[in-house]
Amino acid sequence: MSAIGAKPAAGAEVNTTASIIGLILTLIIIGALYVITKDISMTMALIGVIIGGVLVGFCVHFMPVGGAPAAMGQAPGIATGVAMLAAGAGLAGLFGGAWAAELGMMVAIVAGAVGGGLMMAITCLMVSVIYVFGMGIPAASGKSKIDPLTGDTQVEFKSQGTEGHGLPFISYVGGVIGGLLGGAGGTLVYIELLYLYEKELPALLQAPMPEDVKIVAVSLAGIFAVGIFLVSSVLAAYNITGTTEGPADPKFKRFPRDIVASLLASAICGIFAILIVAL
Amino acid sequence: MTVSASVGAGAIPHNTLIGVGLVGSLVGIYLTYLNVITGLQVFSFFGGIGAVLALVWGSNTIKTLCSYGIGTGVPSAGMLSFGSGVIAMLFATRYGVAAPIVGLVLAAIVGAILGYCANQIVNMKIPVMIQSITEMAAIGALTIMGYTAMAAGSFSMIPLMSASHLDAGYWATFIGASFIVVVFILGAMAIQHPFNATLGPSWQQDRMLYLAVECGFLSMIVIAVISFAFLSMNAALVSLVVSLAGWLYFYMEYIRLSKRDAAMWLDAKPIVEPEGH
Repeated sequence: MSAIGAKPAAGAEVNTTASIIGLILTLIIIGALYVITKDISMTMALIGVIIGGVLVGFCVHFMPVGGAPAAMGQAPGIATGVAMLAAGAGLAGLFGGAWAAELGMMVAIVAGAVGGGLMMAITCLMVSVIYVFGMGIPAASGKSKIDPLTGDTQVEFKSQGTEGHGLPFISYVGGVIGGLLGGAGGTLVYIELLYLYEKELPALLQAPMPEDVKIVAVSLAGIFAVGIFLVSSVLAAYNITGTTEGPADPKFKRFPRDIVASLLASAICGIFAILIVAL
Repeated sequence: MTVSASVGAGAIPHNTLIGVGLVGSLVGIYLTYLNVITGLQVFSFFGGIGAVLALVWGSNTIKTLCSYGIGTGVPSAGMLSFGSGVIAMLFATRYGVAAPIVGLVLAAIVGAILGYCANQIVNMKIPVMIQSITEMAAIGALTIMGYTAMAAGSFSMIPLMSASHLDAGYWATFIGASFIVVVFILGAMAIQHPFNATLGPSWQQDRMLYLAVECGFLSMIVIAVISFAFLSMNAALVSLVVSLAGWLYFYMEYIRLSKRDAAMWLDAKPIVEPEGH
């Protein structure tokens, strides 16, 4: 991933110096955790948290976010903000993954991805139903002339003075991919922290029966996962600045700089989430 | 109109609000420590007062940041603030009596790094970005700690997580019962609502600050109800009465200010644009 920060993206300049500083800071934080704890499993947990945070940041770029203009039929996408949409999909996925936490990490992550993807698929479907049958507007992309997946032309359906409207097919697919990634990322953060807390908390709280502390571990891992999720998704929202159509939008190409930002943000949040049981 | 002359926009400078919020919330949170010293629990409501002062500071910080048009809506800033604040706050609970100060410092460090991510790496180039996100993370940590101290009567890790002092199991602890999530979202709503609701051409600082206090007390009512589970009946009743009285007073004040500003608009005078959005 180190090459990504240096590659300039079209339409949005990358601050190369800041990106390199960000990558170095991330490595310093990972190294600092290892030096403090001398425990390779905790360092691996931090790396897992960072990967989860990056997935969350990346997922936001796939989401068709319309904001207030979409509610008035003047921009394509789902009519809400980036942070709300990502939190909705990711937390739905996190709940799905948390149910499967007992079945091992891979099962839980896949369950989380399916939960997030399902949530976005249902949201996109119902949004399309409301746009078409409730508001009476067809789906038309404003940024691309033909839909990259179906090849349908878009320009004829686009009303004058708008940036497109409704939910084009590519945005629907982007939403589901975003839900899958977000659900998987959120669950990865949660699972890494949960396994760590289940191991370390009984000693910290001097609990006679380690099984009893499980509920505290679940709650603590859950709130930390929510915190890291929100931080990562809001940074991605700042990267998009407002509305996007999903993967077909030119703003999608801005993702490299968000990946660097998510790396550093997840690292600094993750190290405190892990040090709470390590010191 | 005389009103607009007497109540200028941004009448209270931001640095004054930082001072009031920072000192006020720390003092409020530390006053709950009287619980430990005296053995009573009636001082818990001071935590809520501290959180309200932090929220007043926070609403003005959000105004400063969001005036630049970050393009993602005001609530996202509140979510970022509490997402980073809750991490610093929970980590700081390890340090017992020093927890509020440690939480403040750690949240500021996390916030500064997140501000660097947003401003330099994501390249938003907003002059106040790093300072605002640093402040917001600190506000998030102080608000959550204040409300937590009010609900559970303490801000240290062992009373919040350990069941050794309880007859019941770990599910009955503040963290084990996940009340931290309720505190998180109550605080996040209270910080993002004031500016989101009052922004626009006739934005007035005093109206936004009164709404911030009102939102803070509204969240305090729910926290007071939660505190019945952790504190003695008397202590929880004191918290509930304080929050209800505070909410009622500031709600009526906010309605009064809303009528003042709305009447100016209904007179069809040119819209006053105090700071230019």
